[in-house]
Amino acid sequence: MSEFDPLSLFAILYESFGVWFWPAVILACLLLVSIIASVVLIRRKDLAFGRPVLIALAVGATTTFIATLLAPAWTHADLGALGSIVDVVAAVALALVPGAAAAALAFLLVAVISTGRRRL
Amino acid sequence: MNRRTFLLGGTSALAALSLGVSGTTAQTSDAPVNIVIAGAGAAGLSLASRLRRRMSKARITIVDAKREHYFQPGFTLIMAGLWQPDDVTESNADFMPRDVDWVEEAVAEFDPESNSITTSGGQRLGYDYLFVTTGLNLDYAAIEGMETSLIGQEGIASVYAGPEAAAASSRAMDRFLEAGGTGLFGRPATEIKCAGAPLKMTFITEDRARRQGRRENVELVYNAHNDTVFAIPPVNDKVETLFAERGVKVNHGHVLKALEPGSRQAVYETADGEVTMDYDFIHVVPPMRAPDPVRNSPLPWQEGPLAADGWIEAERETLRHPRYPNVFALGDVAGVPRGKTAASVKWQVPVVADNFVAETRGEEPVAAYNGYTSCPMVTAYGTAMLIEFDYEGNLIQSFPFIEPLEERWVSWLIEEKGLKGAYLAMLRGRA
Repeated sequence: MSEFDPLSLFAILYESFGVWFWPAVILACLLLVSIIASVVLIRRKDLAFGRPVLIALAVGATTTFIATLLAPAWTHADLGALGSIVDVVAAVALALVPGAAAAALAFLLVAVISTGRRRL
Repeated sequence: MNRRTFLLGGTSALAALSLGVSGTTAQTSDAPVNIVIAGAGAAGLSLASRLRRRMSKARITIVDAKREHYFQPGFTLIMAGLWQPDDVTESNADFMPRDVDWVEEAVAEFDPESNSITTSGGQRLGYDYLFVTTGLNLDYAAIEGMETSLIGQEGIASVYAGPEAAAASSRAMDRFLEAGGTGLFGRPATEIKCAGAPLKMTFITEDRARRQGRRENVELVYNAHNDTVFAIPPVNDKVETLFAERGVKVNHGHVLKALEPGSRQAVYETADGEVTMDYDFIHVVPPMRAPDPVRNSPLPWQEGPLAADGWIEAERETLRHPRYPNVFALGDVAGVPRGKTAASVKWQVPVVADNFVAETRGEEPVAAYNGYTSCPMVTAYGTAMLIEFDYEGNLIQSFPFIEPLEERWVSWLIEEKGLKGAYLAMLRGRA
């Protein structure tokens, strides 16, 4: 692991994603930009972060939990294959990806809805 | 983009780490040398890509008639019924580096005395440096009564013969599990690529039978060619333990000599003479040898355990030919202990490329290959053992948190989802 090379990892990710690589990168960037824009919007409107953050955490945690349960099936295995703590940690780590995406989307939606209501 | 695509990212990161991605800064060389690479398999393509990027003035020619490129580590997953042949089939053209001449003919003759090779079309190609990456020959004909057209029929399976053969083997396994009977597994006495595959197929068949509720209907026998089922002692002990727990009988010192498909009998050579065993299903692993043009050349070992099957003589740390210093052997055809896996290629190619570039720059080559190889040993649907070791048989852990002798889903995850991306990146010389 000490010889880990980010450029090689990039190449491996590129080959793994195939034609979906750049759409995935663009979508991730759009999500990131949207989150930053939402934060700026909430601050400008002087709204509290509590509600969107809490909802985002709840949605993210729920998605991560469900994705963790589904992770073995994605590899043609059943849930019983998660036989050690290392397996569970790996499944959770993978599930955090859709979990984080869902949390970001939830934050974005709540922020947009909240700032829209305030405007009205 | 969907969940699968997102998750692939994390898995690929694990695969990258499992293959031990290196982080060295690549030097370049302006030497205008004439390089011939014989073979466009994993080693040939990966080497061509690396040398092309680092040696802008070199003339690089790659010689191979094959147009399709198979991700061979996926064959076991086809036989397991999880992948389709399309999942492992790529085109060599897609991985051929730019500015490399591809002669689409087979190598017919090696003549290291005159620094030339001759192709199947009669072309004679001279070289300053030759890299032999031809792969190996599956010698099914050495088993009396066996031919590849039988795979998928008469209870005969063989995962090595290609993706379609692996798919036919999967269907044969399903028919066997439905009908019941005796299943025979084993391996030949020669060096083989992916020595874990025969064991994987035994585990997969056993687990599939159990999951279908038909385990009681089948008897599974593993016929080991010598007194172990795997060359690395702790791995051997673990596999034998798992076989015992799962009711797989092990016979030692049995080498498949002949098949009688009509009567479904297999003849084995043993220390006590020939033994005939009835079967309803047999997974055949053919003897493996260097291709004939290599064997008929002066390149193979002239004596020692690697001489009989024509493996190319090579210094084990540099893969350089000791009698022909401008010749190197990489991948399956290299006459070094172990090293017939894609993971071996991943480590061999950077060593050879680094040393070659250094040498053409007038520097001392210092990189050394330690014999690293890896085998994600599938032990059931959903679990595998991530086994990595070197020339000395020392177990290596790319991940300190994954015990090599423990059955883990995370190791299965690497096998099932992660390795292909890493392999394809390796073909492009990027991993």
